Amino acid sequence: MMEHWLQILVLGLLLGGVYAMMASGLTLLFGVMRVVNLAHAAFILIAAYITYALFENLTLDPMISLVVTMPLMFGLGVGLYLLLFPRLEESPRYVEMTVLLTFGLALIVEGLLTFTFTGIFRSVRPDYAATSLTIGDIFLPTSQLYASLISFALLILLWVVLRFTKTGTAIRATMQNRAAAQIVGVNVRWISALAFGLGMSLAGAAGSLLSFMFPFFPARHWQWIALLLALIVLGGMGSIKGAVIGALLLAVASAFVTDLVGPTWSPITFYLTLFVILLVRPQGLFGAKVRL
Amino acid sequence: MALLEVEDVVAGYGAGPDILTGVTVSIEEGTSYCIVGPNGAGKSTLLRAIAGFLKPRAGQITLDGVVMNGSRPDQMLAAGVCFVPQDASLFPMMTVRENLTMGGYLIDDRALLRQRMDMVYETFPILAERRAQAAGTLSGGEQQMVTLGRALMVEPRLVMIDEPSLGLAPMIADQIFEKIRGFRDLGITVVLVEQNAVKGLEAVDWGIVLDLGSKEFEGPAEGILADPRIRELYLGKAVASKDKG
Amino acid sequence: MAVVEESEGLVEESPIRKPGTRSRRVTLIAALALILLFPVIAIPLFDSYAYVLQIGMLMLMWIAMSSSWNILGGFAGYISLGHGVFFAIGGYTAGLALAHWGISPFLFLPIAGLAAMAVGFLAGLITLRTRGPAFIVATIAMLFLFLLWFDNWEFIGASSGIDLPLFQFPVRWLKVPFYYAMALCAIGAVGLAYRVAHSKFGLGLRAISQDETKAEVAGINTRWYKVWAFALSAFFIGVAGAIYGYSLTHLRPLTFFAIAVAARMVLMAIIGGRGTVAGPVVGAILIIGVNEFAVRQLGESALNIVFTGLILVLALLFFPQGIVGSLRKSGRLPAFLDWD
Repeated sequence: MMEHWLQILVLGLLLGGVYAMMASGLTLLFGVMRVVNLAHAAFILIAAYITYALFENLTLDPMISLVVTMPLMFGLGVGLYLLLFPRLEESPRYVEMTVLLTFGLALIVEGLLTFTFTGIFRSVRPDYAATSLTIGDIFLPTSQLYASLISFALLILLWVVLRFTKTGTAIRATMQNRAAAQIVGVNVRWISALAFGLGMSLAGAAGSLLSFMFPFFPARHWQWIALLLALIVLGGMGSIKGAVIGALLLAVASAFVTDLVGPTWSPITFYLTLFVILLVRPQGLFGAKVRL
Repeated sequence: MALLEVEDVVAGYGAGPDILTGVTVSIEEGTSYCIVGPNGAGKSTLLRAIAGFLKPRAGQITLDGVVMNGSRPDQMLAAGVCFVPQDASLFPMMTVRENLTMGGYLIDDRALLRQRMDMVYETFPILAERRAQAAGTLSGGEQQMVTLGRALMVEPRLVMIDEPSLGLAPMIADQIFEKIRGFRDLGITVVLVEQNAVKGLEAVDWGIVLDLGSKEFEGPAEGILADPRIRELYLGKAVASKDKG
Repeated sequence: MAVVEESEGLVEESPIRKPGTRSRRVTLIAALALILLFPVIAIPLFDSYAYVLQIGMLMLMWIAMSSSWNILGGFAGYISLGHGVFFAIGGYTAGLALAHWGISPFLFLPIAGLAAMAVGFLAGLITLRTRGPAFIVATIAMLFLFLLWFDNWEFIGASSGIDLPLFQFPVRWLKVPFYYAMALCAIGAVGLAYRVAHSKFGLGLRAISQDETKAEVAGINTRWYKVWAFALSAFFIGVAGAIYGYSLTHLRPLTFFAIAVAARMVLMAIIGGRGTVAGPVVGAILIIGVNEFAVRQLGESALNIVFTGLILVLALLFFPQGIVGSLRKSGRLPAFLDWD
């Protein structure tokens, strides 16, 4: 019995790790630039499709594809930010504008992906996609294990960058008080672009990892973005700590719900939890009170 | 040549009306100034325009003879103009030490950074005590000292402080003004904006009275304090400025 | 606060006729005449009669939906991406009444609207505890929650849905009743938007959208205002859903809950001019017109949503006020479009 719960817990954590990485990128974007990136999951899909293409044509292992997708998405992020967002900065309804803008971007990405790859379910099937590891009585699907380990590694890397590098500190400063950051000489536009790139590179990594975890098709991003948004609101928008903890908590909770009641209830857990939290604590677990 | 020249500057926020309606002010190096005036006169706006947070709609701002209109705040800082705004300009979740380090963001030399930080700790011993504490948990006076200390990190030529005594108990405010007087001894030019005109003028050499977005009067701070007319018009109990709508 | 002070006096109409009133009245009568007589005027178009009526019905539907959405999204400034929920509730309420009790959806329309409004009220109570971006996320979560529920609820046919019986009518004239029903819905929705815009309630909503804290301080009960805006915005969307579902004769969750539904409502309001009464109408006509044109020329393909997304992005970057809004700002708004 105990083993069974442990198994569920482990599966939940494995999935949670990947969710945590995706959610961190998204919440970073909000924290630094007050951008609610509705297109985040669409960009994750771009990376997934790139990984797929690399696998199909060059037999490139999806985990190695990270080396391609991460820098690519970083560049895309920096470029997109500088192109689109500074113009909105003067607008009084800035945050909402970013929602609508990224919504439009998501539609564009989805359309282009459908056009290029059609709506067929795709997935990347390296050898380890079907195997699993058994430790004691716990069985760990290899694909999830690898994805999770890489996710945690990237999260730690993110933490190191934010905590110990000068740029990372500047990003944190901008997150805490944008005006003050400007006063001490931070070029907030450039830092925002870098942070956008950073968040997007995490999306790129997520795409490569997800490509061999789940089958995907262009319209899939809506499910994922809804999930991720629920996660960051739960954790408190702008709080990376909140995103990670929220992701792990919910992934584990939904693993248990799936086990007890069935798989259809799993996503419902996310949204119901979100609504309950909104009733009780609208700013999320670690969010600042009415910092919007 | 004056350190900073503001010539006929007109400025406003967003698509709103002009707050500054043609201000001309000359800041000499080594002197300390206090800008006073009624609410809405444009005192904070003037500082923001100089610091690069607000682009002037007309007029020019020159530093050492070089026109600086439209510069970004980080560019102004690099030129030696440091701005301390009135709202919390700290990084609340960072420690005092980290806040000071951020003050030295533009300094690449680690050794120099450490040197400056030691200097700030000497000037503000209480910061040395609280260096590992999260800035958001400090008292009002201590937070103000962090912002002042942070300004010192870049060894600025000009420091502009918006309402240094805002929200502080009188005794603490006095301490702050003491420290600001000390800036003068370090050779830093200081420009204050103070709602508490009396305290502000007592701490500086020269006073500038602003109203309706332009300079009404300027002169030695003592002179302004002593002049009963000016006191009544601008420094007395909350005098509402002529209707601005 | 000036906006609130004005609200006291605005309930009575000023005795001096506002310039352009006659032009507006003419427009109103002309528009109503056009809408009501359209099926008659279009009779000569023998072969494509049904198609033309279908386009007309769709335009009216989107006019109704984006005008309704605008009450919350434009007047109050709260962007909801989850309004597809009300579309679905209206569709299913009326559809189920037909399937189980044989009541014609045309008769059940008010109930469908009320059902949507009730859900809107409740959902508003919960989601409006948040503001800004968190609110938008809450509405997305609401959408997905309902989608998941409807997708799995056997009683309503789950994801495969249910079929609806259709009345006996000669095929040629089949679309006509739907057209008229939708016309009523559109007129109702725009009328509602107009009444709200010209009421103390509407002024309060605008105050909220400009500065919610100031509005609270000025004494406006922002919570109730917002919740009622949410509820009101749901009514005609529910009605539209009832009519639309019936016209398809088959109800499936995905039809109603597709994100494209929310996307279009938002897009039309933005392109036309958020926060104006005429804006969503202009936006709806434009978008449907352009879309049909694109489909005729390029065929149905994925590039359509690329197009939609691109227009949204460009509109936001360059015309955030929308057509009506931009025209008003530059003082060139023709009186017949000035319904505010």
